[in-house]
Amino acid sequence: MLKKLKEQYANENKQFTLITKAGLVLESDQAIFNIPANSSIFEFHPFFESLPTEHMGKEELNFFCIHLTLKDEIYIVDIKVIPKEEGLLLIFYDLTSHYNTYQSITQTRNESVIKTELTVIKNKELVERERFKNRFIQNFSHELRNPLTSIMAILGLLCDTKLTYEQEKMLDFLKESNTNLRLMLEDTLSIGMIDAGKLNIRNSVFDLHKLIELLDFTYKAKAKAKGLNFECSWDDKLPKYLEGDRLRLFQVVTNILDNALKYTKNGGINFSVVLNQKRANLVNIRFEVADTGLGIAKENQNKIFESFNQVQSNEIRKGVGLGLTIAKKLLELMGSSIKMESTLGEGSRFYFDINIPYILFPKSISNTKSKSKDKNSKQLEKKYKILLVEDDAYVQTTLFKVLLKTNRFKINLVYDGSLVFQEVVNNNYDLILMDVNLPNISGNQITKLIRDFPFKNVKNVPIVGITANALQKDIDQYLEAGMQKVLIKPFENEELLQTIFTLLK
Amino acid sequence: MLKSKKIVVLGHFGVGKTSLIRRFVTNTFSDNYKVTIGVHITKKVIEISAEDKVSLILWDLEGTDDIVSIRNSYLLGTHGAIFVFDVSRPSTFQQLSSDLAILNEKLPKVPLMIVGNKADLVSEVEVKALFEKYALKVDFLTSAKTGKTVNELFLNLALLLTADA
Repeated sequence: MLKKLKEQYANENKQFTLITKAGLVLESDQAIFNIPANSSIFEFHPFFESLPTEHMGKEELNFFCIHLTLKDEIYIVDIKVIPKEEGLLLIFYDLTSHYNTYQSITQTRNESVIKTELTVIKNKELVERERFKNRFIQNFSHELRNPLTSIMAILGLLCDTKLTYEQEKMLDFLKESNTNLRLMLEDTLSIGMIDAGKLNIRNSVFDLHKLIELLDFTYKAKAKAKGLNFECSWDDKLPKYLEGDRLRLFQVVTNILDNALKYTKNGGINFSVVLNQKRANLVNIRFEVADTGLGIAKENQNKIFESFNQVQSNEIRKGVGLGLTIAKKLLELMGSSIKMESTLGEGSRFYFDINIPYILFPKSISNTKSKSKDKNSKQLEKKYKILLVEDDAYVQTTLFKVLLKTNRFKINLVYDGSLVFQEVVNNNYDLILMDVNLPNISGNQITKLIRDFPFKNVKNVPIVGITANALQKDIDQYLEAGMQKVLIKPFENEELLQTIFTLLK
Repeated sequence: MLKSKKIVVLGHFGVGKTSLIRRFVTNTFSDNYKVTIGVHITKKVIEISAEDKVSLILWDLEGTDDIVSIRNSYLLGTHGAIFVFDVSRPSTFQQLSSDLAILNEKLPKVPLMIVGNKADLVSEVEVKALFEKYALKVDFLTSAKTGKTVNELFLNLALLLTADA
């Protein structure tokens, strides 16, 4: 019984064909396809044309998964070629269905492997492009800082000279342009740092009421100068002390306010701070800026938070348009998000809700109050010896002039890092102004050498770093090396002098 | 006079072996990627001179990332070989020298063409940088999509094979 059944199925999907060694078909059972007797097997399919003649008739050959396309029908077969006395016995095994399943599995697998590989390549390219962009931004910003320092210092000095009314106006314009340039530089660097994941949120306790008062005072004056109204309202239930990143919060709000000021020609700006919710030790506060400016068309509303994008026409184009991008990115870092509503020709409303812990009785508050130069300078009773270490000739000259003008300092100049240590050891300096990137040895390394020196008069001399490297990790490194304070180029003359006076006190 | 020459086309999967053959044989191209399993065999007769024709039997072998695993029966009686890689996917040419060493063992004395395909996906500058970085030496830089140097590749190999014969 079983033998009979086996015979019935044994030949299923299998075809036997006998050919001569010269390729003439002697006989075929036609079980799968038609191979006529007395025809040439080479005409049946090119597969047979390329059979290795040197192996034929010597040994049994097995070919797997051969696609035979015959009159628009595709068979996928295994072929066995067995030498016989009469010639060659060809056995075809039709495994089309089996191989189609295999094809489908392989298709999925290969597509997935290729897709993954291409994604990895693309991501690598994007990371590389991002790295190049950030490196470019950093280098570019760095190169701009030295000339800007000179310009700012000279402008400061010029302001103290006798000027005509017209010259004063021109100088004001120059100062404002220079300040804008500096702010743009800071903005560009901020974007680069956020994108590179190098900007960290630093929380500390600060006085929210004072922050709002400062913004009210500053923007009232700015709005007035443009002939605009500025209204500031805030909830009296707002806690006084918060624990957050005051600097970044201030940066976000000022960027939104500056944007409102920039695009409002008539009417005014309303700034409000409202307490949404107070729970446990957390408050949710809404900061909102509404203006009667130009407004933004609906199709452009998504674009305004992108880098280097300004929606309005050239006529009112000012700045590089990074303010809102920075605000958006900083808020994301602080777990919030910026929202806007705007009607073209009527104005815009920007707002964000932010969760911040509040403190009832703060132990310490970051002191943002600055002391005046005059007060400090009065405490100086003698002329102090200052060593200015700077290799850039323009910066050297301008800083020299700024310091000299106070009539409080004796100044020596050194431009080469390798000459500094000897100079400090041989002279009793009261303070060193140290550039970081110097020929031969860096300001950072010199600072370490000075701090390691055994004699107190050398070891303890105050060192103020002046650098174009604005990254926080660099600044931390300089402070760790032993600098008391680091000033980022470009800086105001006032800031430089105040730092010196504070350290000499 | 008509001579038959068996040419095997091999390389990693997804490098465009089938597309190269289709471009050469039918002058068509499809963006749809269909994985080849086993072997597809096609034939094209080309004239190499006024008297001589050659019948190229093209064996399009299933792509694999391991050349060693190619079935030896597929290679029996091979006259010429084309190794194809994808210029936009480094994994298909990073092991090129070891792949070629294995091929030389499997197909001793068989003329071999090394082909960088999908040239339309990368710029000339990128290709140059790539070849320098990986010390690649290729015989043809092709694009099955645009047809760039596809006919030249097969014609050159055909001439080489018939000159040898």
